[in-house]
Amino acid sequence: MAERPEDLNLPNAVITRIIKEALPDGVNISKEARSAISRAASVFVLYATSCANNFAMKGKRKTLNASDVLSAMEEMEFQRFVTPLKEALEAYRREQKGKKEASEQKKKDKDKKTDSEEQDKSREEDNDEDEERLDEEEQNEEEELDN
Amino acid sequence: MAAAAGNGTPREEEGPSGEAAAPPPQAPTSAPGARLSRLPLARVKALVKADPDVTLAGQEAIFILARAAELFVETIAKDAYCCAQQGKRKTLQRRDLDNAIEAVDEFAFLEGTLD
Repeated sequence: MAERPEDLNLPNAVITRIIKEALPDGVNISKEARSAISRAASVFVLYATSCANNFAMKGKRKTLNASDVLSAMEEMEFQRFVTPLKEALEAYRREQKGKKEASEQKKKDKDKKTDSEEQDKSREEDNDEDEERLDEEEQNEEEELDN
Repeated sequence: MAAAAGNGTPREEEGPSGEAAAPPPQAPTSAPGARLSRLPLARVKALVKADPDVTLAGQEAIFILARAAELFVETIAKDAYCCAQQGKRKTLQRRDLDNAIEAVDEFAFLEGTLD
């Protein structure tokens, strides 16, 4: 593909909303400024990814994890982001845990209801969700990233 | 005599459908509990994949990158606004952004990338 990474923009509407909420009421933003900020955000993600990847490689890991990104923030001199990011991560983990428990509950209900034939089919699907470790989520990522 | 004629996406075979297992990456912005990240994780993931050196990235890493990008947008918007305020304008212009990038050390990585 001949697309440059910088062409992968984040949605304009969301960027605009974030900007408007950060600025006082009554302040506007020109289209050029907004699109430049959007591109800057993409560059930021690319740069942060590259930094985080260095930390992962130092740790001899192939998968970027949350602490790699946090280390990257410090490296990039965005230490002020670290605390709010840690809080967001906590909230995200709680939410993910809630989702997992909900889907496990559904699985239990399914297993009770279905016949043995269907149990075989659902076992194939459930193999993906069966493991509790976070590694499993990364494996899911693996399937998607390899595409 | 496989039905190869036509569109060519051979999804007719019954097998474990990958779609059911993969959780949707985008959180709805209307639900109050899900307002953890406004940027769609799928787009952030696409950016991460664009880096040829990256092998894999966990979901948490993608999420934090999305949140960090939001914080970054807020930060740079506010810094650019300081410049606009000095010019007594109420509309942020592209040049305000350029000034902020030059003035703030942390934004040095952006130099030359926005043109």
